[in-house]
Amino acid sequence: GKWKNKERVLIFSSRGINFRTRHLMQDLRTLMPHSKADTKMDRKDQLFVINEVCEMKNCNKCIFFEAKKKQDLYMWLSNTPQGPSAKFLVQNVHTLAELKMTGNCLRGSRPLLSFDPIFDREPHYALLKELFIQIFGTPQYHPKSQPFVDHVFTFTITDERIWFRNYQIIEEDASLVEIGPRFVLNLIKIFQGSFGGPTLYENPHYQSPNMHRRLVRLSVAAKFREKQQVKEVQKIKKKGTKVLVEEDPTEVVFETPAEEKPVEIQLVKPESKPIVKDKKKLRKIQRKKQKKLFRTEG
Amino acid sequence: KDGLKQCLAEFRQQLAWVERLDVTLGPVADPVSQSASTSDAVDPENDFQREMSFYRQAQAAVLEALPRLRKLQVPTRRPDDYFAEMAKSDQQMQKIRQKLKSKQEAMERSEKAKQLRAMRKYGKKVQVEVLQRRQKEKKNMLNAVKKYQKGLSDKLDFLDEEQTSSQGNKKGNASQRTKKGPNAKRRYKNQKFGFGGKKKGSKWNTKESYNDVSSFQSKVAHNKGPGKGGRGGKGGKKALNKRPGKRARQKMKNRAR
Repeated sequence: GKWKNKERVLIFSSRGINFRTRHLMQDLRTLMPHSKADTKMDRKDQLFVINEVCEMKNCNKCIFFEAKKKQDLYMWLSNTPQGPSAKFLVQNVHTLAELKMTGNCLRGSRPLLSFDPIFDREPHYALLKELFIQIFGTPQYHPKSQPFVDHVFTFTITDERIWFRNYQIIEEDASLVEIGPRFVLNLIKIFQGSFGGPTLYENPHYQSPNMHRRLVRLSVAAKFREKQQVKEVQKIKKKGTKVLVEEDPTEVVFETPAEEKPVEIQLVKPESKPIVKDKKKLRKIQRKKQKKLFRTEG
Repeated sequence: KDGLKQCLAEFRQQLAWVERLDVTLGPVADPVSQSASTSDAVDPENDFQREMSFYRQAQAAVLEALPRLRKLQVPTRRPDDYFAEMAKSDQQMQKIRQKLKSKQEAMERSEKAKQLRAMRKYGKKVQVEVLQRRQKEKKNMLNAVKKYQKGLSDKLDFLDEEQTSSQGNKKGNASQRTKKGPNAKRRYKNQKFGFGGKKKGSKWNTKESYNDVSSFQSKVAHNKGPGKGGRGGKGGKKALNKRPGKRARQKMKNRAR
């Protein structure tokens, strides 16, 4: 058949990504035969430069990974010429290479896309669903694709986040094995234009990772401060309030003041006593002398 | 919100389902179902439950999509002779298989070790029990033999196996005890040689032995008897008790040699 649905997705990233993100990007490129790769973009350039890059590569969709602070990973999904686009925070990334993912699939086979019914309930989710279908779905009769349908991507909404899983279809009775990769998307904003433009939707449940870290630190600090306060309160309690005792007038009755001694003024320095190292020695010497005398006498 | 809807309307592509291959379904009902009774919200912290819900959602999608695809004549099963590049290299799959195998082996080994340990413990217990039983039996046997020797019980039942009601038997025989004990000879010898105790004065005269005149033969003592076959009157007395002197006896001895 002829390849009619001309979708091309540009998958690339900014600088400063870590190994996990790099592997995730590579995995997405293997799984999606309608994708193209590009070099890392410098952070200095503005985001709308990406639109130009896409046009140069003749792509009409884009997946852009942005790493900040070497900790947080953001993902942009965009329809490049006119939009819309969405920014997500990516968490819990597991790659294809992890040994717990035992499934395998043909390289370039078309995926089945499975969505949670919640996607149909909210308009922003409906928009996201459309975006996912157009980006992740491999066009039919794409030259690099395989004609079989042997794996399924699932997008589920749990805990206000979108969970992505990839399963291999083993049997026709729907026994599945996970292939990988896996990640969790936390929606931040949806823009009308591609990488810019008015904000169509802002996720109220989203908390930036900085904020999250700050809150954690604050809570720890708060605990510590509370402990300090408790300690102080305890200290005050221990000291106790001083009880005022009234003066007892009868206390003074039995007091007899001591007699005053006459003040003696010494004018002459008193004789200094000889320093005796051994008090008993003097006595010993005396006794010996007496004995001698006694012996000579008697 | 309206902006969203408008945007969606603009953005949406009208493609045949075959191109999109999307399915929107909730998870398959769980046969082991606590999930039906609990609220639909899967606890995201409970990893297993969460993953199972994802799995079931995928299953539902597959169960719905595959028949549709088959109708549209899109192949879903890979024929066995179709070799193409896979998403994970063969090397990777080997690694995975190795890991699984090693995990299984480790588990088996630990199971075996546990069983061995349990068996050894049990064996030790059994051994101890057997030894104790043997000791007990030996003790009982010896006691029974001693009793028999001492004349407390005249039954030779201990030679037979397993006296279960030995207690009852003892009480029965208490009235029937006869004093057999060892022989007179044995008793004399025991008195003289055995059982420690008085040995010093064993050859001295006691009152009983002094008063014992049973070994007195008056004819021998008064030399009145028929004098060894009746010799003559001459030298009878002396001849009877005539024992040759030391010298003569020694000569006899030497001559005999």
